[in-house]
Amino acid sequence: MTAMRDEKLEEMLRSRRVEPPSADLAERIILKAQAIPQSQALPLGQSLRRLFAEFHLPKPAYVLAGTLLVGFLLGFNNPFDTTPPVNSVTSPTAQAYLYADEDDL
Amino acid sequence: MAVEWAEKDDGELLALIQTGSHHAFGVLVRRHTERFYRLAYRYVQNRETAEDIVQDAFLKLWEEPSRWQPGRHSKFTTWFYKVVVNLCLDWQKKKRPQSLPEDMPLVDQRDRPEQAVVRNEERRRLETEIAALPERQRAALNLCFAEGLSNQEAAEIMGVNLKALQSLLMRAKATLKERLGD
Repeated sequence: MTAMRDEKLEEMLRSRRVEPPSADLAERIILKAQAIPQSQALPLGQSLRRLFAEFHLPKPAYVLAGTLLVGFLLGFNNPFDTTPPVNSVTSPTAQAYLYADEDDL
Repeated sequence: MAVEWAEKDDGELLALIQTGSHHAFGVLVRRHTERFYRLAYRYVQNRETAEDIVQDAFLKLWEEPSRWQPGRHSKFTTWFYKVVVNLCLDWQKKKRPQSLPEDMPLVDQRDRPEQAVVRNEERRRLETEIAALPERQRAALNLCFAEGLSNQEAAEIMGVNLKALQSLLMRAKATLKERLGD
């Protein structure tokens, strides 16, 4: 008797009726989503990966060669002047002052 | 092209949704809306409310797609069942239990009129008694019988072990048998 009641109950539980949803429910959800912006609350690992991706060089060899070329051009256009300016601290007067006491020794 | 999209599994669609693909979202929604509506309906017994809950669940997923973490969650449907069940429980906490609407189609169209009346009354009583069950027992019944999930899947969704789920089912059925009589 108990087994019969079990079966009947289980049959009733499996065949419970559900009112069908509106035919356009899925489309309504999709349409609403189009008006909502996504928020990108990414986990730490993923956000770090994205940050590094920002600095990714598409063609590193070209970038390196370009940087070297610009460096050389700038270097040759501004030759380094090794002669000291006239009024620098290493002028003859200053040097004479520095060595002034050595004569007495 | 449409076939290609339809062939994508849920995991692939979710990865695309995380990059902002409306198309992938559309495919996922069309694929699963009805299944999750059925689940929500069993809890709230009202079409509009069930539709609102399903809509809310999907829009939350769209708004914050990083909620889905493939490494942490085994299967999209298992995880989303949990999301929908939680929304239903939230709704139930806010609202007082409602009686079933009189025009609710509980009757099988194939029944003869006298059979239909008896069956209608049985089903109405069953729904009332299910609604009166403790929350976890009701969830176990809804997932295992109405949704046809395996006990293991239902246990995973509810966050309990298999034995605990079986015990919930047994207690729910015993209560229902007792209250519904013979």
